[in-house]
Amino acid sequence: MERLTALALGIIAWVAVGVLAVLIVFNLGDKNQVLMFLPIAAAVVAAWGIGEVVTERVFNAPDEGV
Amino acid sequence: MAVFERAFQKRELHDPGIVRMVFSNTYLAPLWALVRLYLGYQWLIAGSHKVWGDTRWIALPGPDGLALKGFWERAVAVPAKGHPAISYDWYRSFLTFMLDNGWYHWFAWVIALGEVAVGIMLIVGVFTGFAALAGATMNFNFMLAGSASINPVLFIIAILVMFSWKVSGWVGLDRWLLPALGTPWEPGSALHGLRTKRGPEGRGGVTSSYTPPA
Repeated sequence: MERLTALALGIIAWVAVGVLAVLIVFNLGDKNQVLMFLPIAAAVVAAWGIGEVVTERVFNAPDEGV
Repeated sequence: MAVFERAFQKRELHDPGIVRMVFSNTYLAPLWALVRLYLGYQWLIAGSHKVWGDTRWIALPGPDGLALKGFWERAVAVPAKGHPAISYDWYRSFLTFMLDNGWYHWFAWVIALGEVAVGIMLIVGVFTGFAALAGATMNFNFMLAGSASINPVLFIIAILVMFSWKVSGWVGLDRWLLPALGTPWEPGSALHGLRTKRGPEGRGGVTSSYTPPA
């Protein structure tokens, strides 16, 4: 159950990145591409962090590491 | 015949270390993520103009694809003086065929939704190599139709992202998807349904600690 939750959380984090990117670009246009790029990049970093801290930790338990 | 056998004998030529370092090593994954994000962002913006707003290509009150029809008509036109936009006759014939058959009605949907899909896939990092290939294909066709704009730059970036397909989505969903789904030549753990431990050369070079949920 823990593994399934961790996997779902990792996937949901990245799906949220896609949703956020679409919302930003479609609603704010492209007047200032730098300002619009920053929150998307921040969301990517956050999703990566969730993957590293939650998903990777669960799936890379010491007894089953690479 | 001996010369052919000697010249084309079965042997694998390996990439030098610097090439493997740049295109296959997760050490540079953050850099490729940045490149991928820029590319995806540009595609998403381009696609948003075609599916959203007053100048969109699709879901219009009238017939769809008239903007694409205008683009194709300008592209296939051969001016009395100067060079035509399209250099290859076969490509002009191809666009003319699509124009004559009214394909712009549905092809506008393919382009508009395709650009948005490529943008999202690159930003999220899902099937990054395929997304870059699809983007490069669109860039290639726009350039063949005589539209330069930022297409040459995006095309080069897409080619580089394709070369680095194993690591360009490492900071993204590909990190989990590629090991789970595997490659055409080596199915992943999700298809095997097995918990396996892999060495550094496993799954076509994609290494991961991923194992499917119990």
